[in-house]
Amino acid sequence: MAIIQLTINNEKYEGEFDTNMPLLWALRDAIGLTGTKFGCGIAQCGACTVLLDGKAIRSCGITVQSSIGKDIQTIEGVEDSMYRSLQQAWIEEQVPQCGYCQSGQIMSAIGLIKSNPNPTEKQILDAMSGNICRCGTYPRILKAIKSFIKSNP
Amino acid sequence: METNGSRREFLKRTGLASGGLIVGLNFLESCVGEIVQNNTFPNLEPLQVLENGFDSIGAIEITDFLQIRPDGHIFLNLTKYEMGQGVSTGLSSILAEELEADWEKIHVRYIKSSVSESDTTGGSTSTLLHWDLLRRAGAFTKLLLIDAAAKQWTVYKDQCYAENGYVHQHGSNLKLGYGELVGSIVVPKDYRTLFAEVPLKYKSNFKLIGKNLKSKIIPDIVTGKHPFSIDVRLPKMKYAAVLRCPVFKGQLINFDSTEALNISGVEQIVPIKLDTSDNIRDGIAVIANSTWAAFQGKLALKAKWDLGVNAGVEHGKFVADCYKKLTIDEGTETLSIGKFDESEADEFISHSYEFPYQHHACMEPLNATSHFKGDSCEMWVGTQSADKIITNIEKHLGIPKERIKINCHPSGGGFGLRYSSEYALESMVVSKAAGGELVKMCYSREDDIKFDHLNPFELNKHRIGLKNGKPLSWELKSVMANWGGVLGWMYYNIPKLSASQIMVEGFTQVGAWRSVMANAEGFSTECFIDEVAHELNRDPLEFRLSLLPRNAMVDFKHSYKCNISRLRGALELVAKRGHWGKTMSKSSGQGIAVYPYMHGNGYGATVAEVAIVNDMIKVTKVTTAIDCGLVVNPDQVKQQAEGGVVWALSAIFYGGTEYIDGVVERSNFHDNKVLRIDETPEIEVHICQNDEPQPWGVGEVAGPPTYAAVCNAIYAATGKRVRKLPIARTYSQL
Ligand code: FES
Ligand code: FES
Repeated sequence: MAIIQLTINNEKYEGEFDTNMPLLWALRDAIGLTGTKFGCGIAQCGACTVLLDGKAIRSCGITVQSSIGKDIQTIEGVEDSMYRSLQQAWIEEQVPQCGYCQSGQIMSAIGLIKSNPNPTEKQILDAMSGNICRCGTYPRILKAIKSFIKSNP
Repeated sequence: METNGSRREFLKRTGLASGGLIVGLNFLESCVGEIVQNNTFPNLEPLQVLENGFDSIGAIEITDFLQIRPDGHIFLNLTKYEMGQGVSTGLSSILAEELEADWEKIHVRYIKSSVSESDTTGGSTSTLLHWDLLRRAGAFTKLLLIDAAAKQWTVYKDQCYAENGYVHQHGSNLKLGYGELVGSIVVPKDYRTLFAEVPLKYKSNFKLIGKNLKSKIIPDIVTGKHPFSIDVRLPKMKYAAVLRCPVFKGQLINFDSTEALNISGVEQIVPIKLDTSDNIRDGIAVIANSTWAAFQGKLALKAKWDLGVNAGVEHGKFVADCYKKLTIDEGTETLSIGKFDESEADEFISHSYEFPYQHHACMEPLNATSHFKGDSCEMWVGTQSADKIITNIEKHLGIPKERIKINCHPSGGGFGLRYSSEYALESMVVSKAAGGELVKMCYSREDDIKFDHLNPFELNKHRIGLKNGKPLSWELKSVMANWGGVLGWMYYNIPKLSASQIMVEGFTQVGAWRSVMANAEGFSTECFIDEVAHELNRDPLEFRLSLLPRNAMVDFKHSYKCNISRLRGALELVAKRGHWGKTMSKSSGQGIAVYPYMHGNGYGATVAEVAIVNDMIKVTKVTTAIDCGLVVNPDQVKQQAEGGVVWALSAIFYGGTEYIDGVVERSNFHDNKVLRIDETPEIEVHICQNDEPQPWGVGEVAGPPTYAAVCNAIYAATGKRVRKLPIARTYSQL
């Protein structure tokens, strides 16, 4: 246990954390940012995806210790960012069904667009293949990302 | 919350409700004061509902469903559970249509269920069961609002009309908002008659039904605010994880918690034991200050189990026994229509098809938050059956039903798994064992896979008797692992139809799985009929159509009669839109299939295209046609169909389970694979035009014909028949 400061969605959070705890659980249980979801705990499903210094990572696979000093962005911060229009695209295409995987899908999509603003379909599919959706919303995820890219060239 | 007798009675006595509907009604709490965004945590305090149905702030609650607030916002208490199938939006649009409400001002709330008459959600039945009731609730309330306005203006009622959240006066600019009128609503003495006889709109006047209204819940989902039960945070809440007996019906002998208690954050460790009648496994619960600490504590536990009878079950032997039973066992007859003498046939064709156990793997792992308070208790949970939870808590913990409060949350996928209630009961047992701590008990993904209620293994043997190439008899015999029963939806017009079943004991707990037995039977029936068509040198579409006479209705003694015109319509539409019979390139092929879904009276048909690319079996396109009766929201129908197709594709390629000594071997998404975006074909959904007077089921219609369409396409591409799922990913392993 140690007193640690984390920067999440441009805000500082200070608290006593088990430094070995995956960032996922620090976000959800300790800090209360429950938009980031637990799906597998072994970096297989993408439900827990957040941005760490702008890159999409699985928060179940990184410890609190390694997140110190990094810029952490979660789904809760997207509304106030330039990627709000990606959420709009998600609404426009009516992507989610149960919605459980969708925070992770959106964070993965932001990670992709940040690193490659104009991905090909193949690149989109590759980048999004780490995110499982059991409701089968894949065709709409693809559509929403494409439509975002089209309107934000 | 107390049960308000008069309002319950109100719905009971209207005589509108079929038996199912009354059972289906929850008595719902109202909610407080100022308008909050729908679905916002924390749970709102209950609002006092006074005798006359008005509350202290002047809002009125009409029936259990609906609350109109003075600012004009309207809250619909969902009486069905949202798990991604879209009831929030579909059901509120039905209500809003008749109420002439402003769609933007409609909000949904989730059930808080404290009575035994809780509901179950499944079988693709929510919309069809609530269609009439919601319409009446809307129309009835609209009449009361019109009455109230007419009184204020001292004009006759028929000088007023309702539109978009206002009552207007004909021939003038006068209008009053619904919110302004709630304070002066008078519920007439003969409201029961009024409710029963209230005029409903003609289809042609619908403004919302039939439109692609946007989902009420998606805005909260894309911002991470949708209130899944796993996200519940309550004061003083602890976190729990349970180490369960790895074999179904095994028992705990003893355990050592020394190491586990040394883990930082772990607070208590308590054994869990119940009689196993409701599938609760023996276990040891770790209570901690975070889910992570609880999971770590669980890993550090040492337990000794008596693994019991199921430890000896061996899959290979189990399957071999099932095949054996199929040949030697007569089975119990479940369907017999027509007569047939074996000697009439000059040829028989028979094949068997194996549909494996299947995992749910809902994206939200099972979880429930429970507070055991001695003589009462409260729970926060995503479920398909609060009723079962309440019954089981009463049965096992002795708390009377009236003192059990269940806060129902939307689920991250249900697919039938959340019918079972043992995870919920287990969390309450943990709370009790922990001395009444408020605990959120969460399954790890490994728990969720290993302790899943699997879709049962099912083996189907079809046999058709022919004379001069004309089918005279069709038999289906099914072996199934201790769940359900053969459906026997045998819709082809063959003089003699018969179905029988043989139940066998499997190795573990089983349960409902999206489309239930229609998966195995849809797969087997439509692969088989395709084989028969090919053996008779008939085109698979033309052969099917020849056995589907227009206007026929077939009675399988199920909820609904099978409407062959609608079934045929779906098949014809998919053939046309899926370009059945088009020229395919080498190593690729098309397959077709059709199947009814009689739990919900919906009909689905599929054309699949498969190509072998670098040895990989690729499903390149799936076209689906659905007849689900009157369409409430076309886009939601399409969503459900897309989901059903992806669901079936996952099962085709990755379904099944493996177990050794009664222990499920799969544990997480690396070995219990499901379809991913880069394997998903183009999916095209077409909705059949029809004149049905009401909506029918949607959610489970698209999956069943998908299996056979894909397998038949594989045959067309490769010449190899698939009679067993899952199939290999590559052609060379097929
Ligand atoms: S929970 Fe992190 S990838 Fe699944
Ligand atoms: S929307 Fe349900 S898992 Fe993706």
